Amino acid sequence: MRLYEYEAKRVFARYGLPVLPGVVIDSQGYQQLDKVTYPVVIKGQAFVGGRGKSGLVQFANSRDEAQEKIASVLGKCHGGHAIERVLVEPRVNIERELYLSVIVDRLQHRFLLMTSRRGGVDIEEVASSEPEELLKYHLNIGADMHAFMARKTASGLGLSGPLLNAGTAVILGLYRLFVGYDCKVAEINPLAVTDDGRLLVLDAKVDLDEDAMFRHPVLKDMGITARHEVGELTDREKVAKKAGIPYVDLDGDIGVFPGGAGFGIAAIDLIQHYGGKPANFMDSGGAPTQEKLRAMLGLLLDNPRVKAIFGARFGGISRCDDWAKAVVQYVVENKPLKPMVMRMAGNMEEQGRKIIEQAKNEHPELFRKIKVYAYDMPIEEVIKETIRAAKAEK
Amino acid sequence: MAIIVDKNTATIVQGVTGTNAALHTKFMLKYGTKIVGGVTPGKGGQHVEDVPVYDTVRDCIDENPEATVTSIWVPPRFAKDAILEAIDTGMKSIVVITERIPIHDMLYARQAAKERGVMIIGGNTPGVISPGKALIGMLPKIAFQSGRIGTVARSGAVTYYIANSLNLAGLGESTSVGLGGDPILGTNFEDVLRLFEKDSETDAVVMAGEIGGVYEELAAPYIGEMSKPVVAYITGKAAPQGKRLGHAGAIVEGNMGTAASKIKALKDNGALIAETLSEIPVLLKEALGSVIG
Repeated sequence: MRLYEYEAKRVFARYGLPVLPGVVIDSQGYQQLDKVTYPVVIKGQAFVGGRGKSGLVQFANSRDEAQEKIASVLGKCHGGHAIERVLVEPRVNIERELYLSVIVDRLQHRFLLMTSRRGGVDIEEVASSEPEELLKYHLNIGADMHAFMARKTASGLGLSGPLLNAGTAVILGLYRLFVGYDCKVAEINPLAVTDDGRLLVLDAKVDLDEDAMFRHPVLKDMGITARHEVGELTDREKVAKKAGIPYVDLDGDIGVFPGGAGFGIAAIDLIQHYGGKPANFMDSGGAPTQEKLRAMLGLLLDNPRVKAIFGARFGGISRCDDWAKAVVQYVVENKPLKPMVMRMAGNMEEQGRKIIEQAKNEHPELFRKIKVYAYDMPIEEVIKETIRAAKAEK
Repeated sequence: MAIIVDKNTATIVQGVTGTNAALHTKFMLKYGTKIVGGVTPGKGGQHVEDVPVYDTVRDCIDENPEATVTSIWVPPRFAKDAILEAIDTGMKSIVVITERIPIHDMLYARQAAKERGVMIIGGNTPGVISPGKALIGMLPKIAFQSGRIGTVARSGAVTYYIANSLNLAGLGESTSVGLGGDPILGTNFEDVLRLFEKDSETDAVVMAGEIGGVYEELAAPYIGEMSKPVVAYITGKAAPQGKRLGHAGAIVEGNMGTAASKIKALKDNGALIAETLSEIPVLLKEALGSVIG
């Protein structure tokens, strides 16, 4: 879960890292501009990099100029997101730009501290063109970083005199923040040395582990909550998100009502392999409630693009009886007429089968286009039949 | 010998009094798994399906010293402690059913396990089954039948569908291992491939990976060294770029972790690539036929 720069800097400030006194401005008004000293830098708040090139970073020498520039930045679109806020900070004169980050190294399963004297530029470029300029230090999980270690690292960045202690504090602070808030990434780029001898965090990036948010209520108090990062959501994706269902709209006509994410991904592949077009990706998660399953079905049956639904439940931790109850209740209440070709096998299958059979007997007209196959029907045959059913509906 | 669990493996269940754990304890017992005890702090003295519940793993082990494998069903915030407790009491294998464990917690637990030579499977694993012998976790027994193919997969349901597809083609499994869907896993493909390579009851291996992460690529060089045929089934070919599909294990970023990069790495090292589930048994029969003939 990535944070906006202004959020990351608020988190940084809690750990005593040197951030500038900035103000955040949105479409609500410009009153805050009275609080800053000019000249200023105006930065549109976005998750995706390359802000400079997209005109999201502007300079202003007066309040009037700032207001005009902010208006030009707000509402711009960057990486699929409209810019809703800008961060306004005093402009400083930069002498040198450094790079500093701590990340989870998923190859070595350790934390990785990276530093470079080549800050202010795309660090991946530095890593490939001048790998000797990117220094890497692995840290064992749970190990504390001592000041002498940070000092050595700061010295390696060319920091000396009073800046050596300042740099040591920044490295220690960044590492402790990374550990303290369960970060996947905590990055400063650039860490600037100014012409008046200060060390300042000019841009900050934080990527948090959503699954650890429960132990950081202070973040919630700061207004930092789960958000969507990649592109804009479609209306249906927004509805799904509210219901806690990972859901992605695709442009086909076969609704996919799978179990977990792993088979959801496989199902999309298989539908395409057999010449069909999936309308969505979806993930029930482990042991979904009946309510969640009904919401999943609703997303598909309310979608006019969906001509037929492919459903699969291989009951492991998720139970077939819960799945059958949810399907039956949804069908009886909403009377959808789209074909649904499904397969149910696994734990509590017998109970699930009884529920489906009973509903079929009670409401034969509602279940006319609904099939629920069992273990002996290969899943790929179920997919092929769904594709045929979708074609027949056109 | 199957791998990880066998008929005589004595196991315990941590978090046994939870709804899912209690239900699956019943299923595991029915399957023939030897469960000697359960653990839920504060509920010592109770029973779940005649399995005695203890307050601590230590209490459980003191009375049942033969236990070597545990499964963990506790809520995610307690998972790190439960795993460390299992390591501390000398468990050899820890099957972590719990999903969405904080990344830093899992990294810590993983490191502690490595230091002690303990195997962690998961988090977010459906479990491990040696069909006809023992089952640890919540894999549905109907999906599996005893045979000589080892399977290892990231996703639970894909594990079931692969076994299903093998069984419908007249093949069966020596052991099926779910690696788990969480971003940090205790055990990766290569660890399990090494066990299957040494297992006298396994003739060939099916590995199923998916977009995101690099565990498939990392296992590729070892496949080149193996004497047993490996069929690989990689999903996510049709996944839209840059979209986040479900569990965090499946994020496509740049060229890293794409279906194409995984398939290339595996193919270059001699794995046979199955495009669909029904192709898996066909490729296995071809490969095993050529070994035997």
